[in-house]
Amino acid sequence: METLQKTGRKPITRAVPASAMGRIRPVETLQKLRRMPILLSVPAFAILLAVYAIPIVELFLASLDAPSFSLAHYREFFAEGANITVLFQTIEISAVATAICVIIGYPTAYLIVAASKRLRIVLIVLVFIPWLTNGLVRTYAWVVILGDRGLLNNLMLELGLISSPLHLVYNRMAVYIGMVHIMLPAMILPLLSVMLGIDKSLVAAARSMGARPFVAFWRVFLPLSLPGLRSGLLLTFIFCLGFYITPATLGGLNDAMLSTFIVSQVEAVGSVASVAVPSFVLLAVTIVVLSVLGLDLSGNQGREGQPAQTSFRPSWLLSFGPLIRYLSELAASHRAKRWTAERYKAGGNSRRSAKTVGGVWVALAIFFLLFPGFVVMIMSFSDKPYLEFPPSGLSLQWYRSFFNDPSWIGAFWTSVQLGIWVAVLSTIVGTLAAYGLSRTHPRVRRPLTMVILSPITFPSIVVGVSVYQGLFALGMIGTQSGIILAHTVGAIGSVFIIVSATLANFDRRLEQAAQSMRAGPLRTFMRVTLPLIRPGVIGGAVFAFLHSFDELVITSLISVFSIRTLPLKMWEDIRNQIDPTIAAVGSMLTVLPVLWLIVLYVGWWRSRLTAQSGVSVPTT
Amino acid sequence: MKNSSVSAQIEFKNVTKMYGTVAAVENLSLSVRRGEFLTILGPSGSGKTTALMLLAGFVAPTEGDILIAGKSVAAVPSYRRDQGIVFQSYALFPHLTVRRNLEFPLEMRGINAAERAARVDRMLERVHLKDYGGRMPSQLSGGQQQRVALARALIADPPVLLLDEPLGALDRNLREQMQGELKSLHREFGKTAICVTHDQEEALTLSDRIVVMRAGQIEQVDTPEALYDRPSTRFVANFLGEANILDNPGFKIESDAAQPAGTVAMIRPERICVAAPAAPKRADGNQRQSVTGTVEDMIYAGSLRKYHVRVGSSMLIVREHVASEQRTFRRGDEVRLEWLRSDIRFVIA
Repeated sequence: METLQKTGRKPITRAVPASAMGRIRPVETLQKLRRMPILLSVPAFAILLAVYAIPIVELFLASLDAPSFSLAHYREFFAEGANITVLFQTIEISAVATAICVIIGYPTAYLIVAASKRLRIVLIVLVFIPWLTNGLVRTYAWVVILGDRGLLNNLMLELGLISSPLHLVYNRMAVYIGMVHIMLPAMILPLLSVMLGIDKSLVAAARSMGARPFVAFWRVFLPLSLPGLRSGLLLTFIFCLGFYITPATLGGLNDAMLSTFIVSQVEAVGSVASVAVPSFVLLAVTIVVLSVLGLDLSGNQGREGQPAQTSFRPSWLLSFGPLIRYLSELAASHRAKRWTAERYKAGGNSRRSAKTVGGVWVALAIFFLLFPGFVVMIMSFSDKPYLEFPPSGLSLQWYRSFFNDPSWIGAFWTSVQLGIWVAVLSTIVGTLAAYGLSRTHPRVRRPLTMVILSPITFPSIVVGVSVYQGLFALGMIGTQSGIILAHTVGAIGSVFIIVSATLANFDRRLEQAAQSMRAGPLRTFMRVTLPLIRPGVIGGAVFAFLHSFDELVITSLISVFSIRTLPLKMWEDIRNQIDPTIAAVGSMLTVLPVLWLIVLYVGWWRSRLTAQSGVSVPTT
Repeated sequence: MKNSSVSAQIEFKNVTKMYGTVAAVENLSLSVRRGEFLTILGPSGSGKTTALMLLAGFVAPTEGDILIAGKSVAAVPSYRRDQGIVFQSYALFPHLTVRRNLEFPLEMRGINAAERAARVDRMLERVHLKDYGGRMPSQLSGGQQQRVALARALIADPPVLLLDEPLGALDRNLREQMQGELKSLHREFGKTAICVTHDQEEALTLSDRIVVMRAGQIEQVDTPEALYDRPSTRFVANFLGEANILDNPGFKIESDAAQPAGTVAMIRPERICVAAPAAPKRADGNQRQSVTGTVEDMIYAGSLRKYHVRVGSSMLIVREHVASEQRTFRRGDEVRLEWLRSDIRFVIA
């Protein structure tokens, strides 16, 4: 059997002269060269190297004062007390936000998994929607809620609890609220992904052996869910380290993070080293966290049922794979194989009061995730030119001002255009890379996978600084193609993850079957492989588009005001005059994820359904 | 037989396949006659699947050559070889209907739509799936999927049919039924068929010849009957059916032939008769050896009984068909075991 798995694509060798037949070795070498599937990843690496990987190395060397090599710049950085304060503040804010995410997220994920099947799907979708919503809109929502004339203050004034508005925004608490709100789905989704795969009969078995419910949870369920917790922790903490928008919007002067500092250095057009040094300090923290968390719990990764997952090092990023599979399986009719998992509910025979508490908890968590979106939507219908919630009258004027203002519409179309370019480019390049690397020896695949995923693993500000350097060298700062390349660097990672997860599920014998029926490599790919991984490719394209459409940090560095994307325009508006036009934009962007889910559903679940029912397959 | 390359459809010539430093197949030489049903039998890791994959063209030999119809195919990619393959768990395209699955090999050979439709119809009828053309593979039962897989492998009329554990995924009853089906399809289409399996029963029922492989090498090649009746090695004797290997029997073994050096005596359990010690001897008693022992265990399995009998230092397995008016022995009973001296075989230890 193992031999079947090892053999991927077939050599493209045509006729070989009969004289070469005697000894097979040279022929085999030739075949090996021709069937190097790794070559398919060349376009992806060409983009990554030129725009991001080589520049990051250059920056690193510059920070070390190459070629003379000294730590002078780092010594300078650490000599400044304020820098150390900012560094610790960055770690502290990230740690606290991550901890809050765990405290809220773990029970929520647990309760979602324990819910009945229908409810569970609804809840998962409700967690997904904010994850797909523009981060800037979600941050803006909290300005609306926490602002001096915002929802909370107005409500409390109305109720007579306070006599003058409290300063709820522009402080540390607001930063935490905003960050937790943005990162909570990133904590819950990997947890769900792993928890859904835990066989509930194991908990039931522990109970049958005399373990009380809590003991059964503690000794069986919790250890099995640790891989998901680890993924969530890494995802959340590392994202937080690179946060720039949220602290800059909701925080005060004392809530600066390292990314804020780096942006100010770029804007001040300081020396290369002055930008590079804090970037690499931030990166060093990231790598320490990655390696510490990556090593500690890695023993839990080799769980059965996901052999393909374990072959990738950054498996925490790929932990979405099982969730994606779960969601697509739900639509399939062959649920029988999950029956053991379905039979024993995690909640089992818990008491009524426990159920109520659980229900309230999940409801609050979902409320917390979705409520700000609703606030923005209501806000967008306000008739006042200033921020006020709830609005005292209704109007469509902010939608009108959006559609009538060429700078808004222009920014919108720019973003759509960029998004489409990025989606097309990164889907082609990323799918080829995922396909090629899935057929490459793990020893080669693992480091290359890490390189491909690093732009979405590293704090975005670090990636932004590198890309800035790279595009500067290419003379593409402030050009549209420059922004496309910059976004593609990250979007390739999203495509790669999703397509790889789909390929891990793909039975390679189907390709062998096609080839045994005289289909050549290209025809095999087009007729068999591509149709079967299409859901993943579509999913990858959607995420690539979203990546570009929502990107702000990197764009703000490289656009130098010559190209204005929608997030950039929104960002300027939020910073300068807060005018409810942005609420109109925000509410439209909040509705957008629903559209994405429909696209995914059509491209993904439908294809599964057709494959199951065979209704719409015409026979010619 | 090895040099009769005129009638040899497939020939392995000293084929070796290395994975790193491990030889999955080592110096394999074998020729398969046209129209023959040959089964490669062996435990997992014996290299049988690698041998099939070499033939299929999914694996290139490290050394040696493979000839199909007299031509070397070692450097021919699988999609240029003319063969039908039935995969383990079938590898039916899940996104295509049964009909489209069957059309695939025809389409790849550039056969036009009308001809394709006619051939698919004929084939569906042949495998009793006339009304299933519009279904998706996932809507078929295991046996139906298996028939579609067979039909797909045969439809383009390739001279060679390769089968990788073709019946492994079916349950017992269905497997027996499909064995018959497979055999009649093979007779009807007259293909040269190479089958890989670890199921000895499947190998015995289906094959014209069986190749027993072990650790990448051929242990023995023979017809099913000869292989079972005259295994050449201890491994073959044990792998195919049950065997009493008399290493240190604790009694003298009488045999018509002299025991060659380096061999050990073996007798099949069904060749031994069990009787009460006082029962009268048979007429051909002078051709038999008889020993006495104690029943340690009796296993009842419907049509037969299996006794574990301790004789001296060895434990003999005896298999007896259940018949009427037959005495059943219990644990602790003294019994007399008898067998024809000509039923003793010597296998390489």
